[in-house]
Amino acid sequence: MDVSLFHPQSGDFAGLTGFTLTDAHQSVTSHTNGLASEPVHGTTVIAVKFKDGVLTVGDRRATGGNAIMYDKAEKVLALDDTMLMAISGAFSKAIEFVRFLRHSFKYYERSQLQSLSLDGKLNEIGRMMAGNLGGAMSGGLVIPVIAVYDQKQAAGRIFFYDAAGARFENLEYAAAGSGSVQIRGAFEYIVRTKGNFSEMTLETALAEALHLLEIAADLDSATGGAGKVLPLARTVTAAGVTEISDDAIRVALGASTTTATSI
Amino acid sequence: MSYNFYDFQNAIQQRNDYVDDQLRDGSPVVGISCPDGIVLFTLRGSQRKLFEVYDRIAYGAMGRQSDVESIRIAAIDSAHREGFQRSEDDVCLSRLVGFGISPAVKQVYNDQRAVPLTIRALFAELHDSPADDLFCTLNYDGEYRISKGSAVITGVRSADEVAKDILKSAAPSTLDEAIQLAAKVWAHAYNTMRHARKPGGDVDDNGVRLTPAAAFEGALEKGQILEAALLTRSTSKTSRFECCTPETVSAAVADLDLG
Repeated sequence: MDVSLFHPQSGDFAGLTGFTLTDAHQSVTSHTNGLASEPVHGTTVIAVKFKDGVLTVGDRRATGGNAIMYDKAEKVLALDDTMLMAISGAFSKAIEFVRFLRHSFKYYERSQLQSLSLDGKLNEIGRMMAGNLGGAMSGGLVIPVIAVYDQKQAAGRIFFYDAAGARFENLEYAAAGSGSVQIRGAFEYIVRTKGNFSEMTLETALAEALHLLEIAADLDSATGGAGKVLPLARTVTAAGVTEISDDAIRVALGASTTTATSI
Repeated sequence: MSYNFYDFQNAIQQRNDYVDDQLRDGSPVVGISCPDGIVLFTLRGSQRKLFEVYDRIAYGAMGRQSDVESIRIAAIDSAHREGFQRSEDDVCLSRLVGFGISPAVKQVYNDQRAVPLTIRALFAELHDSPADDLFCTLNYDGEYRISKGSAVITGVRSADEVAKDILKSAAPSTLDEAIQLAAKVWAHAYNTMRHARKPGGDVDDNGVRLTPAAAFEGALEKGQILEAALLTRSTSKTSRFECCTPETVSAAVADLDLG
């Protein structure tokens, strides 16, 4: 090996690996697998604050055009112990993002003997989004929702990005994916009638978020409901990332489905 | 000018003497498996000596700090490149050291125009069971040795033997026991290194008695800092490597029996 023995990197993982985003979607869109007419997409993910941090939930469905490709997709993924990325859009790109970012953050921490700052991590995600703009224009759009616990502010924070990498911070909630459009107004309704998510207990926030996800599943064919496979829910708090158990999700779903929908 | 076989031998011997002289005053590094994970232990000056390399791989070294850093970065780069381009599961200690670090170190050692790396390194790889944990010690000439259960690097060969004798039949069952055992090994090894500098004497150059207990206490009195790290077998975090707090280490070695 190893030229780097005497030319060490300075925590730049993309430089170390020569990583660039593959531009696979231009060819993928014209080469279907016979079942899906488009590349596989993840659908609806939701992040809401609660009093100890941020709760992120996602349905488990991944679709390719009209076809349901996968019913156990994991779309809420930990980038490290303080940050969750909920992914919607092109599944292959999103997984590539997550894999790169996980390695990149760890590489920085191990090589530089300090954690990358929150702003540094968010900038890295922005750079990745900007780098994917060409792919996004040809079917590889990924919209991530970032849930993070900010140790400096001692509070949960939620960010999302547009396709060009611009970063926005949300005060109370965020949602992305095909079902997010249908439920956007419902978030505002909850905040105005029941109060801020950031003042809710985890149990209340979980019931509200699952309720919203069920509405999305009812109104959007690409979003999977809880009937077949339970949604995935993870929190990020001062204690780190925690997965919510299936039992807790069932209890919360019971609480969130007491009123029947008329649609 | 012509060279003969003896010039070649002399050149190598001089390089060995140069590095050995500097390592003789270093601080040993001890690695021990226990049910909780793998403990690495040493005493250090101002700079850290125990580091995380990859998900299940840790590293400690003695020698010149710039060389310790060069090997650390090379190991981290190599492991992360492999883990990202293939899989985290494909990063393993035997390939990392055997095919990556060791040949690079050997190349430097062989270069007569370069100063050899002043380093002796210890790598540890965590597995699901203590019986499967791997250790690897790497010498400045590129030679490496893989072992199970424990490993130690010191400044002189006789100290290696003393340390291995203590470690041979030991099986610590808790983290505290592992730290205590590592501290004991460190003290005996370090004391043997001091003996090697002062054969037949009762005290070292600073007037400190040549016993393991005096070696340990003397090092602390001179401002050396206890350092221990754990590669934990069980965690909910994304990293298995954690530096033990000074309080944990101090409490574990408070009633150390160095007899």
